[in-house]
Amino acid sequence: MIEFNHKQQLASNAADQVLIKVVGLGGAGLNVIDRIVLDGAVPGADLVVMNTDVQSLTSSVASQKVQLGRGVTRGLGAGGDPELGLGAAEEAQEDIRKALEGAGLIFLCVGLGGGTGSGAAPLVTSLARENGALVVVIATMPFAFEGKRRSRQAEDALITLQATADAIICFENDVMGETVAPKAGIHQAFAAADETISQCVRAVSSIFIQPGMLHIGFDDLCSALRPAVGAGRCLFGYGEATGDNRAHEALARALRNPLMDRGRMLDESHNLLVNVAGGPDMTFHEVQTLMEALVKFTGEETQMFFGAAVDQTLAGRIGVTVISSAQMALPAAAAAPAQEFVPRVIPTPVPAPKVARHKPRPEPEIEPEAEPAAYAPEPGEEPATATVEEPEPILAAATAEAGEEEGQASFLGLAPAADAEPQTTPVRVPRAPRQPRILSSASDPTPLSPAAAAKREERQETLQFEPVTRGRFEKSEPTIVDGQDLDVPTFLRRNVKVS
Amino acid sequence: MARDHILVGLEIGTSKICVVVGDSKPDGSIKILGVGQAPSRGVRKGEIVDFDTAQKCVHEALVDAEEKSDVMIQSVYLGITGAHINSFNNRGMVAIPEEQEEITEAECDSVRSSAREVSIPSQNMFIHSILQHYYVDGQEGVLNPVGMLGHQLEADFHIIHGIGTRVKNAVRCVKEIPLEVEDVVFTPLAAAQVVLNQHQKNLGALAIDIGGGTTDYLMYVDGAVRQSGSLGIGGDHITNDISMGLRIPMARAEKLKIEEGSVTLGNCLPGETVTLKDDSGFAGKEVERETLNTVIHMRVRETFDLLKRQLEAGGDLHLLGAGIFITGGTSQLRGIDHLAQEIFELPVQVTHAQTMSGLTSAFENPQFSTAIGLIKYAQAVQMDRPSGWLSKFTQRIPLFGRRR
Repeated sequence: MIEFNHKQQLASNAADQVLIKVVGLGGAGLNVIDRIVLDGAVPGADLVVMNTDVQSLTSSVASQKVQLGRGVTRGLGAGGDPELGLGAAEEAQEDIRKALEGAGLIFLCVGLGGGTGSGAAPLVTSLARENGALVVVIATMPFAFEGKRRSRQAEDALITLQATADAIICFENDVMGETVAPKAGIHQAFAAADETISQCVRAVSSIFIQPGMLHIGFDDLCSALRPAVGAGRCLFGYGEATGDNRAHEALARALRNPLMDRGRMLDESHNLLVNVAGGPDMTFHEVQTLMEALVKFTGEETQMFFGAAVDQTLAGRIGVTVISSAQMALPAAAAAPAQEFVPRVIPTPVPAPKVARHKPRPEPEIEPEAEPAAYAPEPGEEPATATVEEPEPILAAATAEAGEEEGQASFLGLAPAADAEPQTTPVRVPRAPRQPRILSSASDPTPLSPAAAAKREERQETLQFEPVTRGRFEKSEPTIVDGQDLDVPTFLRRNVKVS
Repeated sequence: MARDHILVGLEIGTSKICVVVGDSKPDGSIKILGVGQAPSRGVRKGEIVDFDTAQKCVHEALVDAEEKSDVMIQSVYLGITGAHINSFNNRGMVAIPEEQEEITEAECDSVRSSAREVSIPSQNMFIHSILQHYYVDGQEGVLNPVGMLGHQLEADFHIIHGIGTRVKNAVRCVKEIPLEVEDVVFTPLAAAQVVLNQHQKNLGALAIDIGGGTTDYLMYVDGAVRQSGSLGIGGDHITNDISMGLRIPMARAEKLKIEEGSVTLGNCLPGETVTLKDDSGFAGKEVERETLNTVIHMRVRETFDLLKRQLEAGGDLHLLGAGIFITGGTSQLRGIDHLAQEIFELPVQVTHAQTMSGLTSAFENPQFSTAIGLIKYAQAVQMDRPSGWLSKFTQRIPLFGRRR
């Protein structure tokens, strides 16, 4: 016991030495930071926000604020133009450097696709690295409904970031929004996404801060985020639970996370990072059952990076973090049309984004060349069979039309990662209402309206239940024990939302 | 074959009414001749709420049993349950008269009545008083004091009592058929006779019978009944919870519970769904498996928690050497044994009637444990073995002769 406390102390000292800064860049980044502040997610970390838009900066609750592009944008936003965003960041270079000074680990939360985020992120990242900090970029890709242009800008930015950041955790808003009820407002969808990111920052930072009995290091994180081949995207889940069955519940919650919704994808992931944190009362048996349950989801080849940590603040609770990257298996259906489209794509001047869609996701420090090489044979072979079809004409002549077609082509053929969303979204929509828990727990950081909306929805549900609570036992003698009417479903009495 | 050897157990359950016809052999074995059953209506939580409907169902079940066993049923042992049934332990004491040295049967009887001299609610009646141990002049562990010398005879009894009118209602329901009721038996006592063997009773065992409307339990420690009772929660509640949680009709919920339900959480893929098959032509509804299991889990966990709390109040939970034996229709729920094990921290097994011959399908189904147990109980009572502890049950209640 004494020795244990000693360790604890040592570790907290170590944590003091490594200064963590969480940086929110651009509008989306700001929202995430606000959410992190509200959640109290990363205690002891400095929260920095950077934006071109003064208005949103002033409304942010972060302690440190950096205005970008005093002269270039004059306090307005970057207007969705990455060039402008980059210019603004260059102008504020000194301020940024100062804000990032002294940090050992920097989380850069950025929403890609817009002006400030996409434009300034690469510069901020390299400035941070110049200061000698490790940089973990937590990027969100725009929703599909935000338009193709934004997606393209986001992808371009992601490639650039790849070269500069130590690790990239990439979230796709589309996937995260899937769990939001179809009727929920767009702000709720964003709020759900922010919440997931906030959890992620907390989970990853606590992995580094907490003294682990089985410690997980930065290298493990990088490995877990690196897919075996080519395309991958981040699978992240965090769950926390109390009570007798907390191990199971925590895991269930982690897997219920929007990005884990396809828990099946764990099966395909090659590297899996699992961190189990709990109070001093966490038992070995719990960890064991939890891991056994988790292993059921993974494939035989999966490499596990397992970490366990005791965190005094988690007394009575268990938290499970699951991070992995899933390789997007090329579905047979998608592979076939690929042959038609690939040749058309090859001669175009934009092969880079295409490949980028594959590899960018959560690839930390792989040299960008490695992946294209892996894909080289594929395009190389195809031209032999059907090179001359109609490559340039389409793109050159009918740019507008081709732009769209090309987008589809790449979706179908090369970028299953991006492809998955548009295709599956409609299918998944009916499933969404099953997860209102995430929705309702998302007490929104940004505007007032979503919070109000969520509240209104909750109240309605309770009202609906009121008159029928005893169901078939309506007319029989109630079974009352300790003042509880046991004929009322347990989940109602315990306020657990099930449907 | 003499008619005396035919024993019939009748259980009016919440989900089904079950009649088991058995043939008691002189060597003590029982052969199951036939099982009749009918879905139950008008019964809630083990108690009759709609007299006429319930009576019809009992009649149906009897006819079914008569057909299957080819026996004219004239009298039955009736199983009763319900949350109104309570129990406690009490010690009775009589002084042996000076001029008499040996203890006789008369003293054994009077010690039993002295044990009953306790206050129970005025509306309640005694259902069983089950002997635990005799003490002769303070000497413990006397099995049969008859013939022993002593001045003072004491005995511990486990006394089971319930609301008189409710017990009588059940009896009247059967008597109006008309059918003789030989005795009423608290159902877990019957079930325990067939799911536990003597060895397990000696080691200490808890029989839990989770039926449609009630969860009944009976605990043996040192071969004697130590605790018993009934909780008004059963499989019906689970079905009701599912029906309300998933917004589906009761019938559908029941089917879903039986076919897909499990109490184990975290055992299915996230987002894994169960499609409700619909024969009426409506589009099948999809239900997330985890949701279904969560609803079931919460109810079953709560039930066990409650049960544990009740048993802990008696303070004998650590005396269960053989563990816990779960039976009854709801015991077929997947994973229920693991959950019980987790909660009670004792070995748990799901079990059914043992040591019977005849219709295998009948006694291997935990749904019939109670009805078969009634026969076993009846046999023990009728054989009236002087050395058997069961013979001490035979305090008949002289209340059932009345007819409206």
